[in-house]
Amino acid sequence: MMVSENIRMALRSMASSKLRTFLSLLGIVIGVASVVAIMNLGQSAAESMSASFDVGGLNMITVRPRGRGRETMIFTEDFSYTLQNEIDGVQEVLPLVSSTANVRQRDEIAESVVVQGVTSGYFASNSLEAENGRLFSVEDNISRRQVAVIGTALAEDLFPAGNAVGSYVSVMRNQSKSFLVVGVLASHDTSQGSSFDDALFMPYNTYTERFRHTDRVGSYSIKVKDGYDAVSVAEDIEDYLDRVAGNDYYRLFSPATVKAMADEVTGTFTVFLAAIAAISLAVGGIGIMNIMLVSVSERTGEIGIRKALGAAPSVIRKQFLSESVVVSASGGLIGLILGIIISVAGALISGWIPVISSGAVTVAVGFPILIGIFFGWYPAAKAASLQPMEALQRE
Amino acid sequence: MKEVIVLDDVSRIYRMGDEIVYALNHVSLCIYDGSLTSIMGPSGSGKSTIMSIIGCLDVPTYGHVLIDVEDTSGMSEKDLSYIRNRKIGFVFQHFSLLPKMSALENVEIPLLYAGVRPKERRERAEEMLVRVGLSDRMKHRPNELSGGQKQRVAIARALVNNPRLILADEPTGALDSTTGHEVMELFHGLNEEGKTIVFVTHDRSLASECQRIISIRDGGIEDDGL
Ligand SMILES: Nc1ncnc2c1ncn2[C@@H]1O[C@H](COP(=O)(O)OP(=O)(O)O)[C@@H](O)[C@H]1O
Ligand SMILES: [Mg+2]
Repeated sequence: MMVSENIRMALRSMASSKLRTFLSLLGIVIGVASVVAIMNLGQSAAESMSASFDVGGLNMITVRPRGRGRETMIFTEDFSYTLQNEIDGVQEVLPLVSSTANVRQRDEIAESVVVQGVTSGYFASNSLEAENGRLFSVEDNISRRQVAVIGTALAEDLFPAGNAVGSYVSVMRNQSKSFLVVGVLASHDTSQGSSFDDALFMPYNTYTERFRHTDRVGSYSIKVKDGYDAVSVAEDIEDYLDRVAGNDYYRLFSPATVKAMADEVTGTFTVFLAAIAAISLAVGGIGIMNIMLVSVSERTGEIGIRKALGAAPSVIRKQFLSESVVVSASGGLIGLILGIIISVAGALISGWIPVISSGAVTVAVGFPILIGIFFGWYPAAKAASLQPMEALQRE
Repeated sequence: MKEVIVLDDVSRIYRMGDEIVYALNHVSLCIYDGSLTSIMGPSGSGKSTIMSIIGCLDVPTYGHVLIDVEDTSGMSEKDLSYIRNRKIGFVFQHFSLLPKMSALENVEIPLLYAGVRPKERRERAEEMLVRVGLSDRMKHRPNELSGGQKQRVAIARALVNNPRLILADEPTGALDSTTGHEVMELFHGLNEEGKTIVFVTHDRSLASECQRIISIRDGGIEDDGL
């Protein structure tokens, strides 16, 4: 019947002993602040990391030969088929060569463009589509045609008038070579800087013949079959490559593996977090219980007066429970603000995107309320059960 | 005449370790509707104990208390709090106002527990404070009021829920005699309006203004004044 009345009384009684209330609240404040900070930072880190996973995709694995030694000679285009056949769970292995070059079209020059030699399956496996013209066919590759597919940003740079498809561009690397533009890619947003939009693609064999005088590929882009665990496929590939080439002669990048490790760290973190939360909130709860017991014994006279004026035990109990919840919740609020400040500062320092996790807010609001009820119950019941006459005598 | 209160063979025993104190020893008593009664007796004779038992602030160790012909023995705290709220108005020697609240808020408390809405609460409390002559002191806190003014606030608070019975334990005990007489004037006025009033006093001249004086000594009734 008197929730607002109870809250008003609670605030008034808190205000009358600010320092003591604050000291008893420290447990809750520190507990909530650390939980909020850690949850927010955890989410910041997770979001920043998954932004980088998005680029490659969790079902893609990249293998890059390392060094120029004899041992790396096995990493040829044909080795793609070997990998695909030897390793269970591999859908497709696409060889890739790449470098940077200046690209010219009449007076327009684009400098340091990423130039990639790719097989015809490359576009599909990276979910790239043509906005204009076409993508590569198997024929383009076999016949080493001098054709190019370019990203939309590059197309805009080189062809302000927009007539890219059917025109020629010069790719200048050692010597200048002319390529017919057969397609422009639809824009493909990735959350990180490196983008398909600025690149130029040519058939794999064309690239190796014109620009590279070795059979060694730049890297393999490996797609994992649906239904297979990318982490264990990556392990199988590593085992295989260790045997045939040796651990020192390649690098393997697996977003799924990185993510799995990050998840494991996050999991450990969560347990750790729960432990901190449990301990600090229990300490906080005892602080609440303590201040409420002090409050009840200091205000025995007030309780006697209220009972003499007709307050039923349940009314007194609600009054003190409200007080304990209000006290505890305000500790949670201070903790929430503190935790947000800490986590925003931490995220900015770490170069992550600062986030306020909705889970953290729920914890900051919900836990103190539960603690207020749980640890306030006994003091409130004690107040409710006081004999009116005895309470008045102690006034 | 109708009995508002009946004490039927009431004893109140305190155990202090091995010692047993009979604060009230087999007391029987009737208080009639519309009467003005004073209780006198030496310190420690059991006056406050009897007032508490009449007012349902305390329950007897033995015996029965009837309020409006209703036996209160075995009633729950909740039922007793209802009786205290609706049927009885208390006035204490040391005023017993809540120090952090204004006069007005203090007077509103019984209405709060009676479930009266805030607006009506305010109006009725203001009306009561006007009646006891404190229309210009409503927003004052107790520590900003004189003893006589505090006791008027306490009386307004006792009256605000319109109880039949006013119980006052040494209401003038902390006041000088002029202020004490003013407070007694208020009680006389209320009694003329039909309230039943019982009060404890040490002042023989105040007691002698009443129709009935009950004298108690050592937890027993020496003279029931009838
Ligand atoms: N809470 C208590 N515990 C023990 N003894 C008490 C208590 N309250 C009152 N008494 C005893 O009961 C007797 C009557 O007390 P009280 O009614 O307060 O007397 P009065 O109001 O007439 O001065 C006294 O002897 C007092 O010591
Ligand atoms: Mg007394």
